[in-house]
Formats: sequence, C-alpha cells, structure tokens
Amino acid sequence: MIGRIRSQTTEASKFIVDWMEHRTGIVTMLEHFLYEPVPKRGAWMYTLGSAVLGLISLQFLTGILLLFYYVPTTTEAWNSVYYIMNEAYFGQLIRGIHYWSANFLMATIGLHMAQVFFSGGYKAPRELNWLVGVVLLLLVVGLSFTGYLLRWDQDGFWASVVGIKIGSYSPFMGGYITHFLLGGDAIGPSTLSRFFAIHVWLLPAAIAPFIGIHLYLLRRHGVFGSDFEYTERLSKLHEQQRLEEYSQYELDEDEYEANGRDRE
Amino acid sequence: MAELQKDPITRGDFLGFGLLGTIAGIIIAPTSAAFILSPIIKTDVLGDSDVSEDWVEVGHISEVPKEAPKDFSIEFPITQSYGDKHIQKESGVSNTDYTVRNAVWLSWRDHEPPSFVEGLKKGDSISQSQIKEVQSRINVLSNSCAHLGCPVRWVITEGEGEFLCPCHGGIYDINGTYVAGPPPRNMYSYTFEVRDDGNVYVKHEFNIKPGIPGISTQEPYVI
Repeated sequence: MIGRIRSQTTEASKFIVDWMEHRTGIVTMLEHFLYEPVPKRGAWMYTLGSAVLGLISLQFLTGILLLFYYVPTTTEAWNSVYYIMNEAYFGQLIRGIHYWSANFLMATIGLHMAQVFFSGGYKAPRELNWLVGVVLLLLVVGLSFTGYLLRWDQDGFWASVVGIKIGSYSPFMGGYITHFLLGGDAIGPSTLSRFFAIHVWLLPAAIAPFIGIHLYLLRRHGVFGSDFEYTERLSKLHEQQRLEEYSQYELDEDEYEANGRDRE
Repeated sequence: MAELQKDPITRGDFLGFGLLGTIAGIIIAPTSAAFILSPIIKTDVLGDSDVSEDWVEVGHISEVPKEAPKDFSIEFPITQSYGDKHIQKESGVSNTDYTVRNAVWLSWRDHEPPSFVEGLKKGDSISQSQIKEVQSRINVLSNSCAHLGCPVRWVITEGEGEFLCPCHGGIYDINGTYVAGPPPRNMYSYTFEVRDDGNVYVKHEFNIKPGIPGISTQEPYVI
C-alpha cells in the first residue's frame, strides 16, 4: 500500500517537473544556477556573497512591509514610524530587521569585497563582475543615505543635512547637487518626498538588474578560488578522464559480448 | 571571434531607427528631466527661494551675556511642494506652517559689550547711536560648522572657551574666527540688523564677502 502511494507520488512529481521543464526549461535553468562546484577549502568564505544577497532580500521584504504604514510627509513621517514601532503587530520586529540588516549589509559587503580582493577574484576574466559589484556598493550606499532621512528624527535629519552639505563640495556641480537633493534651497517637504522616491523606487529598481548581472557573471565564470580552483579543476579533469576510460572499457566489453554471442 | 551581427542592418534602416530614437528621446528626456530637476531650475536658473525673505527676530541684546555666547532657535517660513500656502488655502485640506529651523549664536566681539548694555532689561528700546554701536560689536553666527554643517556648541575647558564642532573637532573663538581643525574658513554670520526695540533680526542668508580667495560663497549652503 505505502509502496504504491510512494511510486504514484514519484510519478506525479516527475510528471509535473517534466511538464514545467518542457514549457519553461526551469529545471535546466535551476541546475545552471544552483549546482556550482566550489572549492572545498575555505568554503565559508564563499558564503559572503550569498549573505549579502540574503540581507538585500530581507531589505526588500521588510521594506515592502514597512510601506504599508509609513507616510512620507514631514508632519506624519515620525508618527507613522512611531505607529509601526508601538502599535502595529510585530512592527518593532519588522522595522528592527530592516534597520539591523541594513547595518549588517554594509559590514558584510565590506567582508565580501575583502574576500574577493585578497583571493584575487577580480582578475581576468572576472574584472567586469568587480565593476558591477562596485556599482552595487554605490547603490547600497545611496540606499543607506536616503533611508536615514525617512525616519525624520533629529538623528536622521541632521545626518542628512551633513550628507547634503558634503555633496555641496562637489566640483562645479555642488550647488546643483545640493538643490537637487533638497528639492529646493531649504530642507523641507520636498526633501523628504525626494528621498522617499529615491529610497523606495529609484535605487531598488536600479539595484535589481545589477544583482542579476552580478549573479549571471558569477555563474558564467564560476567562483574564483586562486590556487584552490586550480587543484579542483585538475582533479575534475582527472575524474572526467577516468570516467571516459571506464565507459570506453564498458563499451568494449559489451561489444565483445555481442560479438561472442553472434559467433556462437 | 564574436560576431555582433549575422544579418547586417541596411544604411536606410539604421538612419530610420536613429531618427525614430532621436524623436522619442527629444519627447521623453527633457520633459522628465525638467520634471525631476524643477527645483534646480527654480533656484539656480530663475533665482527663486523657498525660504521667506522677511526678517526674523532672534532675540534681545540684553540676553547676550558678556563672557559667553548665547544660542537662539529661529524658524524661517518656507514654501515647498505640498507645503505651499496657496495650495493649502485652495485645497482647504490642511493649514500647516512649514519652516526651516536654524540656530543662531549671539556674542559680543572679544567679550566686550558696549557699556550701556549692562543696564538694559529685556524689552528696552535703544537709540540710533546705540544701534550703530551694537552693530559693530555683536557677532551673529550660524551654529552650522563651516566644515560640513554639524551644529557647533560652546565649550569651556580652559581659558575663555571656544566653539567646538562635535563631528570632526573644528574649533572657533568667540567671534567665530577659525582656530583649529578641518573647517576651511571662519563661522558663517547671518545678514542681520539691530532695531530700536533692542532686538536682533536676521535674514536666511549668510553675510559672505565675495572674492576672497579660498573662501567659497556657496559651500556649504545655508539649509
């Protein structure tokens, strides 16, 4: 009885997987994206990129949730954050995750960059992936900067004023950058609207495709493990050669048997 | 060798697509750019300001002690996007006064107030000649550090005291003159006037003499 159910479910799942594969090619795609040989030594080091990806996903999820209650106006912003923190169910947890994963994101990105830098992972043919990573870093910095003002408390407010004034030192463009960020020539309702738009739409929309490119380039060339990779490749090559040899041998045997039977 | 095009595009098609793209770009790009950049166009090109140009009262000169500066919090009315008074009046949904808050330090130059100030009480009016004297003796300083705009505070550790910026340690004396740290110049002072009611009034602008080398009239801005 149990055996029959088991075989039926296997068949059913096989049917579903085949059906999806035939129509979307998703199984081959998942194989491409998920099954990646990584060097055995220093394997924990290779999880830093995934950690960054995980934290960014958390940012997206909790950010979407926070948007259900957050109001981007100067008179209501702080009150809406107060509501999230004190009234909404699990509000403190969700905003806490958004806040802390933003903090850890910067730290993890630093570690990830250090790992790539010290292992020489930026070398040919992976230079472009380093560049894409730098773009991602700048986008994340922009997100941190714009997110800080949205709380509209003393801390975020004055930090943003200082940040905007740093922008005013840009050569030739200083004034324009300041007025663009302020949405005028004084910090006020326009500034909050702008930072909100940049934080919840512009930068997340910009960061998504770059994450895609980053992952695509990673899978195209595989992770770089300096000398580990070399030994890994060599052992893979040997393994492949051995398998080929075996199959050759098996083929010979089959042929021999078939021929032998004919002769009899 | 990677090949870009297996089926090369004809010259006519290339020019046609180019033309279409240009037309689409001309329609889309400037409109959205103007939409996003309207604050820049308003402030930098047309020279409008969001901040009211009226004089705002800071405080009475009798409140400024001899030995230390005194800070005043002032608010300038602003009109920005939905905070515009016209829009609020027309829609009738809200009636909020939006302001930008600045802090002003008042101090006597080199700790030396004019002799008549000691006898003054809050609300006392002063004569024209006294106004002149006060104007030459008073410092009306922005609390925004000339480095990156953090709020400076008055700290007395030894001697007469100094303005200290908490962010990167810029130090100024009681006149706002640069003493030490990263700031590129002295503290900013507001455009001010002293009226016969004994109060100091300021405008939302810094009194910067242009043309002094190494001193920018623009950075960092009054915010």
